[in-house]
Amino acid sequence: MKNRILILYGSLFLATVLSCTDDFDEINIQPDALSADDISAKFFATNIQQKLLRPTMVPLWFGDVIHPDQFSGQTANGYSGHSLGLDDHAWNGDLGWVYNSFYTDLGSWDWLAGYNSDLTSYLNNVGEGGTLEDEMYFALGLIMKGYYYQLFTETFGMIPYTEASDPDIKLPKYDDQLTVYKGIIADLDQAIEIIGNNTEAGSGFGVLRENDVIFKGNMQNWKQAANSLKLRIALRAHGGAGEDFSTTAVSEAISSGVLADTDALFEGYADEKDIWGGSSSYGDVWHNFSNSQWKTTEALINILKTSADPRLTLMAKPAVGGTIKITKPTAGDGVALIADHVAFVKSTLDDSGLVLDTDYTWVETAADLTITMPENTNYVGLPSRLSPKIKGYMHAKMFSDPADIITQKTNEGKPLFPTILMTSADSHFMIAEAIVKGLATGDANTYYQLGLEKAMAIWNTAPTTEFLESTMGSLTGTMEEKLEKIATQRWLANYTNGYEGWAIVRDTGYPASAVITSDNNDIISFAGEMNGKQAQRLRYGTSVYSSNNTNVNAAISAQGPDNMTTKLWFAK
Amino acid sequence: MKLNLLLTLYLTFVTTFSLIAQNIVAGTITDEDGVFLPGASITVLDSNVGTISDFDGKFSIQANTGDTLIVSYVGYTNQEIVVSENSNFQITLRSNLLDEVVVTALGISREKKSLGYSVSEISGDNVNTIKDNNLANSLTGKVAGLQISTAGSLGSGSRITIRGNNSLGGNSQALIVVDGMPINSSLPLGNDGGQRESGANDSGGSPSFEPSIGGGGIADINPDDVESISVLKGPAASALYGSRAGNGVILITTKKGSGSDRLGVTLKTNVYADSPMFLPVFQNQYGQGMLGAPNLDRSAGTWASTSWGGLLNGSQQPYYDGTTKAYSAQPNNVKDFFTSGIRSITSLSVDKASQAGSIRFSYTNNSSGAIVDKSKLNSHNFNLRAVANLSEKLTVDTKATYFTQIVNQRASTTGAQGYIGNLYKMPRNVGIDDLRDYQMENPGTPSEFAVISYGNQIGNPFWQSQHDENSVRRNRFLGYAKINYEFTDWLNAFARVGADVTNIRDNAIYKPGHHFQTTGSMSLQESQFVELNSEFLVTANHQFTDKLNVIANVGGNLSKRSSEGMLLFGSDFKIPTKFFLANLNLLAAPVESPMAIKKVNSVYGAVNLAYDDFLYLDGSIRNDYSSTLSEDNRSYMYNSLSLSAILNRFIDPEQKFFNLVKVRASLAEVGNDTDPYQLVQTYNVPGQGYLGLTTLRNSPVKLNSNLKPETVTSTEFGIELSMLQNKITLDVTVYDMETKDLIFDVPVPAATGFLFNRENIGLVSNKGLEIALGATLIDKANLSWNTSLFYSSNENKVEKLIDGLESFVYNTTTDGNLQVKATEGGSIGDLYGRVFTGETDAGGLPLGSAGPTELLGNAQPDFLAGWSNTIKYKDLSLSFLIDARVGGQVYSQTSADLDRAGVSERSLQYRDGIVVNGTNTGTGAANTVKISGEEYWTAMSEISGNYVYDQDNIRLRELSIGYSIPKVSSIGLNSANIQLVGRNLFFFSKSADDIDPEAMLGTSIGVQGMSHFAMPTLRSLGLNLTMNF
Repeated sequence: MKNRILILYGSLFLATVLSCTDDFDEINIQPDALSADDISAKFFATNIQQKLLRPTMVPLWFGDVIHPDQFSGQTANGYSGHSLGLDDHAWNGDLGWVYNSFYTDLGSWDWLAGYNSDLTSYLNNVGEGGTLEDEMYFALGLIMKGYYYQLFTETFGMIPYTEASDPDIKLPKYDDQLTVYKGIIADLDQAIEIIGNNTEAGSGFGVLRENDVIFKGNMQNWKQAANSLKLRIALRAHGGAGEDFSTTAVSEAISSGVLADTDALFEGYADEKDIWGGSSSYGDVWHNFSNSQWKTTEALINILKTSADPRLTLMAKPAVGGTIKITKPTAGDGVALIADHVAFVKSTLDDSGLVLDTDYTWVETAADLTITMPENTNYVGLPSRLSPKIKGYMHAKMFSDPADIITQKTNEGKPLFPTILMTSADSHFMIAEAIVKGLATGDANTYYQLGLEKAMAIWNTAPTTEFLESTMGSLTGTMEEKLEKIATQRWLANYTNGYEGWAIVRDTGYPASAVITSDNNDIISFAGEMNGKQAQRLRYGTSVYSSNNTNVNAAISAQGPDNMTTKLWFAK
Repeated sequence: MKLNLLLTLYLTFVTTFSLIAQNIVAGTITDEDGVFLPGASITVLDSNVGTISDFDGKFSIQANTGDTLIVSYVGYTNQEIVVSENSNFQITLRSNLLDEVVVTALGISREKKSLGYSVSEISGDNVNTIKDNNLANSLTGKVAGLQISTAGSLGSGSRITIRGNNSLGGNSQALIVVDGMPINSSLPLGNDGGQRESGANDSGGSPSFEPSIGGGGIADINPDDVESISVLKGPAASALYGSRAGNGVILITTKKGSGSDRLGVTLKTNVYADSPMFLPVFQNQYGQGMLGAPNLDRSAGTWASTSWGGLLNGSQQPYYDGTTKAYSAQPNNVKDFFTSGIRSITSLSVDKASQAGSIRFSYTNNSSGAIVDKSKLNSHNFNLRAVANLSEKLTVDTKATYFTQIVNQRASTTGAQGYIGNLYKMPRNVGIDDLRDYQMENPGTPSEFAVISYGNQIGNPFWQSQHDENSVRRNRFLGYAKINYEFTDWLNAFARVGADVTNIRDNAIYKPGHHFQTTGSMSLQESQFVELNSEFLVTANHQFTDKLNVIANVGGNLSKRSSEGMLLFGSDFKIPTKFFLANLNLLAAPVESPMAIKKVNSVYGAVNLAYDDFLYLDGSIRNDYSSTLSEDNRSYMYNSLSLSAILNRFIDPEQKFFNLVKVRASLAEVGNDTDPYQLVQTYNVPGQGYLGLTTLRNSPVKLNSNLKPETVTSTEFGIELSMLQNKITLDVTVYDMETKDLIFDVPVPAATGFLFNRENIGLVSNKGLEIALGATLIDKANLSWNTSLFYSSNENKVEKLIDGLESFVYNTTTDGNLQVKATEGGSIGDLYGRVFTGETDAGGLPLGSAGPTELLGNAQPDFLAGWSNTIKYKDLSLSFLIDARVGGQVYSQTSADLDRAGVSERSLQYRDGIVVNGTNTGTGAANTVKISGEEYWTAMSEISGNYVYDQDNIRLRELSIGYSIPKVSSIGLNSANIQLVGRNLFFFSKSADDIDPEAMLGTSIGVQGMSHFAMPTLRSLGLNLTMNF
């Protein structure tokens, strides 16, 4: 009897075991996540802007700081007492110039290739049939898409594009730059048409205002940005083999209206706390790790100095100066190079316009070299791509750091220099360029002057008389000289936007001093595969060789070897 | 106090019921190792009365005083016992050797010969004589098919795999079961392998700059409480444990009270002295500097931290601390950093058994120092086990274990940012004692707080190991209550409820001035894991005819596992001398992981048919219901079938040569489910928006509501032989395992809006051979020598991934020079790196292949072997274990870094310069440009192919010399044993320079085959004293 009861209870227990899955669905719902019902498009709009324009430390540090910022000729890492540090070997004068898959993958390829998924999910959500369908939001996404692909293709060349937006294609083919540029223009045209005369995106709770960090939801500004971007791409593509759209695109963009008075800038978030997972600033790289600093370059400082540009003191800080003692080596490989190295130090100071015995003193003995300069007075740029062999001579105190607003770290409540997406200055310079190239009509110098005003305004200054009287002050000279001036000013207007600065140098060849090459490994390094040539692109991410091998190899056979010296379609 | 109360309660409990069995003779039957024998037959001589023992070896029988009981059990010598008054017998049957009994799945003891699959069992002595802080490490070389890889240091975990890696991205490690209760091996939340980039999530250790390798589950088990360990190798053996058992099971049985009515007291003390087994070989000719000259001026900021300076000639040269000092070699500067780590483990156990039940209490204290000052482990383990026979039919078995451990200064040892690297790369002329001044005395300004080290932004090993703080506290409770009821002599049932509760608190502080986090930072993490299991098992054992015996089991289990945690991180201490959260200027948004629950309900059954003591057929079936899968997929079933046949009676009936000839075969399948929240797409709110705005983004992984469980299927054949009066035994197993429907994050085109799709894909196979050979070489009264040899080889192959995906990258080293991959047609853990192309750049520097594109080897060894020996002469005994790992490769990033820093002995080559043999890509002709040794080694160190070594090594893993002290009645000493023991004594051979090829960067799958500044492998010498009162 007792046994039967126990067996009965046992069976009941068994039955309970089998049937007790009622709460299984419930417990498998994550409590700290949102479902599709909880969301609105505006929250995603911020995300697609921030991810591209104010990314985390990884793309900023391993991407911008190491590669395009240096390749643009505006900043230089390296042997000046400043070596950034993952490991002391990693961060040196060659860093960025010698291919390193870790930095290239994480800093540039993974970031840019990965952004497509954020962007596409946004476009899918707000596009036709999406859960958050909205035309204006979609138009905004198309303009971001144009900007994104411009960055992407100008960094790597051929990239997955036409098939990259097709979710059914697992292994998208790589398109050449011409196809990408044409596609961007088509997207921009679509966005411009959708926006028309609309001023707002979304409705009710979903109205786009401050969640649009760039234009606070002003759709007419987005339309102008689309035209500016269209103009930029048309000019960059102009003259490229097989292109047939730039002339039309230039005139369409100008007549539809570019960003003439408003800058497309992305604010830095001064209270950002999560620099690895959220977003970061240059200052986070600069301050958070000891010695993780860089210098302004010889190219940048000397261009600003030559034309008495009032931005010099705003973009850069004077060299710390003081008494700088350099001890000459008495043994080892450095002994034979003493004369060359000392001469290089001297020429660097002289080229920056410093006058011996006025701006600095020079005392050389057999054992050492003592340079004295007034503290915090002189502006001297650091030569790019220094060889490890000259490390001991290029003393940090001799060279100018970037301005504090650039190296301001987050979370100290102080203003950060914004990320530059597109400026009104650039619009005016581009119109001037179009006129000089015969693609538009009007007075080029008028637009050049407007550009100068807008460019200086970003730095809260205006062209001074001294500047206007310099060669740079007006658009004069031969066509080539005019193009050189415009390119140089566009390059300056894009200071801190290394990707664009680098593209300008590769496209135009100007400023010539920003074309960084080397033929003397004892001074300017030519280590690695580049053998002293200019950096023309970055290598593809290593992952693509496993994930999409056939298509990447097809791209390589069309474009040239996957190395950093292969010239891109638009490059001069 | 509470514990005392509990103990008193138990004892009261036990005594209260001790007087019940008046007219009934009861007893417990065990084998010589104290393992309870179920199903033993007890008959009263010259009567029809008989019974069999239950699952815990207990029996009761009606008998009169003077009757003779005959106790018999297959494979054991019969015993006759005369019944006296108040009899409660502890009967120990002596095995006739072939009939070994092993603990199998669900804790069922089985005759080994009846099993159709491979199970290895080792006794507790094997793991508690020469103790390692992690029980897992004591299994190395003792079981065929089991691979242990170590990582980290004091208090760290180990990677335990049986028969290779089964899963691509999921878990491939064995399940740990203690006394029938699966225990949780999860690491602190967020420390899930650190494979953020790749999406893989095999537990254990981050490949980032500072891997912090948690202890895992098995490290919390006290070796002194271990009675025996069964290793259930394939799905056939472990199918009854369900989803988690696809990778095999380590089944730990802990001790119960045993012996006689008398109170037994055992006191054990182990003291070990640890020291580095070996260190890399350093050069002592060149000092700190660059370009062949000493550094010139620290204040210039162009100070090189490497040893590419001038000849160490004793001249006065600038020193890193700003002074001028003799430029002389400091040959022992690395060695002198380490101290002797003293480990002291003391355990006390008290046990008693009677007719009414048994009780055992043990307490173990482990107070261990590491070879680095201030790095310490302290743990206390309380274990109470009580078995009460409430009636002849009802038994209650309870267990409670409380484990508390604190490990200080464990982290930050290994990897690129660990202090071992900064120690090894120390310039050869730097005196280690000088580095003890790692910070300015009485610092004032923030910059004065900065670390003082031999180079810029290089950590000082003393600062990192002793100034920065790191502590991990683990508290764990394990316990269960089990009620066993014997309905009749053939029907038995038990129900059990058990809990495993683990709390982990992890604190880490970088103090202001730290070389990398200059303003200081602090993280505080708390994780809790709870696993509750309720189960029952009904067993029927019936002898149908005199030849056919059937045992049938039906059971069910409700498993609930939950995890939750919180992480706080901040930086920038307001007041730089005190370190707590409120003193931080910047506190990042806290990360909360709310309680995530996983439930698995299961029903299972097994049938064992035994025919005529020669043919055995086992079948099992299990159905799981997992809450992590969708309604359509959550119920899944798998089966196993095995057969064994004892052929001696046909082959060698007289046992002239063979005492046992057994063949076996099995087929089995196990399903493997997934983690919670893997089905429905959701959106995460970042802890902090942008500009105070809420921002949203899609998860990078597209989840899959149709996810199915992974399936591991296995086919196994084996033969077991015992020869020459059982003096030689041989067990050979071949197996073929396949895992399909692997749950994997497949990289997808970004156009989908995702980076990965979670899918069931692919096929991975593991094929292998295991051999266990045992021999009694000498068997004399005073002298015996037993030896056993284990061999196992495994071949892993990724048969298929998915169309369009040929390979998958688990991990890339921080310098990008090496990748750990799984490639279709290759195997899991293939190492890809760079090799010298035969070309130089224009400046004469050797060029490596562009990226990590060349296959350099695989992280999994070809075979493992262990040879263990026990020699006894009178009261003296000598045991040793030699084990070997052959094949498989490891990338020694350690060696690359030592060469780059110019400190290795290798880097003495080419100090005068070298013209690299190759084509100069600048000229297109043969290279003629001479480069310096510094340039050569800097370039070569980036070419990872130069540093991939075979894992081959043979070492004297364990040695013990013991003496049994005779009984000393005057002090109540029953027996005592003193042993001199040693572990990791020396290598007979080793291929890799600088590193122990078994010490990996972490325990996750993606860092196998990578070694980077691991803590030196420890050589332990120790003394054990065991006293039984």
